[in-house]
Parts: sequence; C-alpha cells; structure tokens
Amino acid sequence: MTFLEKQTDPTAPLHWRGNMQADYLYPNGVAGDKFFKHIMQNDSFLATKCDECGKVLFPPRLYCEDCFIEIPEENWMEVPAEGTVRLFTVAKLNAHGKKLPEPKIMAMIDIDKTDGALLGVIKSNDSERDFTGARVRANLRPKDAREGTLKDIVNWNLI
Amino acid sequence: MTKVCVIGIGFTNFNPITPDMEWKDIMYEACQKAYVDAGVDPRRDIDSFITCAEDYWEGFSIFDEFVPDQVGALLRPCCTVCGDGIYGLGNAAMQIQTGLMDVVSIEAHSKVSDLLTYGDVVLHAMDPIYDRPVSGPVERPNYAGLPSYPEENPKPLVGSSDETDRVHPYFLAGLEMQHFLKTTGTTEEECAEVAVKNKKNAFLNPYAAYEAKISADHVMKSEYCFKPLKRMDISPNVDGAVCFVLANENIAKDLGIEPIYLEGFGWSSETPWLSTRGMEAEYARKSAEMAYKMADIVQPTKEIDLAEIDDRFTYKELQHLEALGLARKGEAKTLLKEGVTEIEGDLPINPSGGSLGVGNCLEATGLQKSLEIIMQLRGHAGKRQVPDAEVGLAQAWRGLPSGSGAVAIFRRG
Repeated sequence: MTFLEKQTDPTAPLHWRGNMQADYLYPNGVAGDKFFKHIMQNDSFLATKCDECGKVLFPPRLYCEDCFIEIPEENWMEVPAEGTVRLFTVAKLNAHGKKLPEPKIMAMIDIDKTDGALLGVIKSNDSERDFTGARVRANLRPKDAREGTLKDIVNWNLI
Repeated sequence: MTKVCVIGIGFTNFNPITPDMEWKDIMYEACQKAYVDAGVDPRRDIDSFITCAEDYWEGFSIFDEFVPDQVGALLRPCCTVCGDGIYGLGNAAMQIQTGLMDVVSIEAHSKVSDLLTYGDVVLHAMDPIYDRPVSGPVERPNYAGLPSYPEENPKPLVGSSDETDRVHPYFLAGLEMQHFLKTTGTTEEECAEVAVKNKKNAFLNPYAAYEAKISADHVMKSEYCFKPLKRMDISPNVDGAVCFVLANENIAKDLGIEPIYLEGFGWSSETPWLSTRGMEAEYARKSAEMAYKMADIVQPTKEIDLAEIDDRFTYKELQHLEALGLARKGEAKTLLKEGVTEIEGDLPINPSGGSLGVGNCLEATGLQKSLEIIMQLRGHAGKRQVPDAEVGLAQAWRGLPSGSGAVAIFRRG
C-alpha cells in the first residue's frame, strides 16, 4: 500500500470545479478558403487532382498527402455537390451521452467525380431505412445566408 | 544492439470514479509500486522519466510541467510523450539503446472521471473546418457558473445555443463498424461475442472494473447508440495509472531480475482526413510490421502466444486481429467462434478483459495491455494465466477519431 491511510468517507473529498476558456479562430487555410468562398457563390464544390497518383482530392488540397507533391493551379476543378452514401449510422446520443431530441442520420458521403468524401447529416425521418448507396445532394443555405463554413451545408437531401 | 528489459511494473486499481484521489496521487501510487517492484530508487537509479499524456485529457496546458514531483523526476531528464503509453515504451527503449540512459521510467494514466465534457473533448479532436461542425451546435456549455463569453460578445462564434443537439463523436465508430461488418461478412452478434469473452475474462482480473457474465443476447438487446454500434459494444471509461521501468539488459542482470525483453515496437499514423482515410486499421498493420521486423517474428500466428489488442469497441478487436496479421481478412470472427481467442485457446486475446472488461483508460490503454503481457510472461496472472506464455504482443489505438497506434512485443528471457 503506497498510502498508509485511504479515504473511506465518500462525503469528505473536496474539489475545485473548473472550466477552460478556450475559444479559437481556426483559419480555413489556403485551399479551404478557396473551397468555401466558391461554395458561398455556387451550388457546387471544388476538388484538386494530383498529377502523380491521379487521385481527385476532396476536400481540395494544396498538396497530395500520398505523393507529397504540390498541386498546380490548373488542377482545381468544379464537381457537383452530390454524392453517394457509403456508410451511415443512426446517432441517438448527444455529446453528453444523453438522448438526442431526434435521432440523426450521420453519413460518410462519397462525392461525385472525386476520390474523397464528406461527413454529413441525411435529411430523413426514416431511421429504419438502409441508406447505403443512396444518392444525395447537398442542401445548401440560401446564397445570401452563406458564411463560408461547413454550416453552409445544412444537411443532405435524398435525390 | 543493446537489449532492453522490463524490470518493474506498478499499477493502481482501475475504477470508474476516483473522487478520493487526484491525478498526482494515482501517478505516485503506480510509480512507487513499479520502483519497489524493480528494486530501484528513482532519485538515484532512474536516468530518465517519460509520461504519456494529452493536455486536453488532463485539463492543463503544458501538462509536462505538472509531472516531475509524483514520478520522482524532480530536476532530472523528464518529458511527456503526447500519445499512448506504448509510444512511451518505444521512446524509452530508444533512449536506452543510445547508451545515454540505463534505466527509464514510463508512466501513463487516466483520470477521465474528472473530465465533465468527455464527448466534447473527443469532438475537439475532429477537424474543426471539415468534420467537427457536422456534429451540430458548438457553443460551450457553462459548467462552472461563470460567463462562457464576455459580456460585450455574449453570442457563441458559431452555432446555436442548444447543446443537447450536438451528436456524440462516437458516431464515427458506428460508421466504421458498418464498414467492418460489410467488408468482412461479420455480424453484430459475432461482435457481441467479443464483449461476452472480454467481460468474462475480467472476472479473473482483480483490477478490472467492468467484469460481467453476459450473453451475446444481452449485448444485442442493449440500445443502439450509433447503429449498428450498441451501448454494450462500447468500452466504458475508467480511471487508473500504470508505470513501467525499462532498463539496459546488464542492469537487469545486476539486479538479479529475470529479464523480460521489449523485443520490438512500432508505431504508425494515417492521415487525419476522414474524407480520404481508409477504415482498415492500416496504422495497426504498419506498426505491427515494424515491431515484427524488429523482433524477428516471421509467422506471428505461430510465434505469438497471446495478445492484448485494442478493443475500445467490440468490432475493433476483430478488426485489429486481422490488421495485425493474427487472423486472415474476415476470419477473426471464426477464431472467436472456435474459441481460439479464449484464455484456454491457441491464441488468447485480451485475457485481462481488455478495455471492455478493464475499462477505457485513454492514453494508459497501451500500458494496461503491456502490463497484462508482463504479468502473463512472469507467470503472475493467477486464474487467467496462459500456460507457457513466452511471447506476447500489446497493441493500442489512439482512439476516435485518430488513425494512429502502436505495437509492443515482449519475450520472456
């Protein structure tokens, strides 16, 4: 026994209840800025193609993580804000482990004409359905309300 | 090359809550026990100290600063590895192999019960631009009764104020489990059997917190949290601390300790981009390849006697078993069904009870798993002793949403 005496009274231990003031401003980054500024004005996405491996990277990158080479300006391309559900799950718990008011259908969506994907919420009340392979389109905020963040994609509509 | 031995292990009990102790206390307890076990005085005999910790888990900025006193490292070489305990073992082994250090202490712990916003801290590990906002509103809840935002700017920067709408980040495990089931032909019931086995093993482990006699039916009837992931597929969190003392082989001989060698270790990281990362636990495959090579292991299934592998979610044990080359793709479920991975089977997996039985102890997971391997190789595992265990593997993943992990291989001398 490392401690000669241990606490046996559960009401005795005291504590300090702290919280962290930790607010950040996360820049979208060079590629992210271009991507989100495009979404603010268009109903489509951008992607970038790596010359070395041929992969179409989405969300767009300035460099390919596999090949570690820069992607030239001319390799930026417009792709539709549509995709196919690769995986989905019906989320029932909130961040505190308590029940969500409504289940949310969270999905990994393979974006058309790219080798990338995006996490998204599928707009549907049918939490029993198998959404695998479902075609979906990004439900974007009205253009004048877009702010250049992922929140501009409200959710994903089934096509 | 210098051979590295484990000369001491120490650990606390693992408990769901530890309100009577602070994090320093459990670190001190584990370290003191390890130093007594090794027969060393940290103020005199230990050359270097490593703690494996992550600021956010601890609730401190620059947690390194808070480490020296309770591990015996005051005014000595001391550093923190921001990762799982197995990364710490690897770093310690390399320090010894340089010849600069002879004896190194490695500590990792979890005091997760102190963390009131676990789900939110995990959410903060997700990419803030492309992934995290999908979870929902991001206003920080106000726990201390203090204003969360300055009066002049009372609104959160992004999102609404309804925190109950924010989805728990474990939804990512629901997605990955679906991928695993589809690509391997494994069923939810077969995953449930992992929880049955590990919680059963935990009965034989005095320090485990979550032992239970359950059937696959219990798991199947537990609520869907992130379908197909159910409540009992998830390892519950636990507090605890583990300390290892590693030494140059010659020191072990001088101390008259029967050596257990750290024969190999490896680590690997996948991309943080969930958009392009695979779901095949490549981090485990790559780190195992590195460790097998270092330990001269050619046929892991024949040369490894037992393994403690990451089971933070039931399907992860099966996925990791395949990634580590201990089962062929899609065959982990068959090994489980045939009893191969039971304590009395040919390849016991998680005899300690794993994270499902012991609890998820965050960055201490790899050391908890290594601890079990050492107890088994020493022949000190009591009723869960695997007979004639000579070579054991410990593997840990860094948890959601990471694609990183490490492997350690130990051999009885």
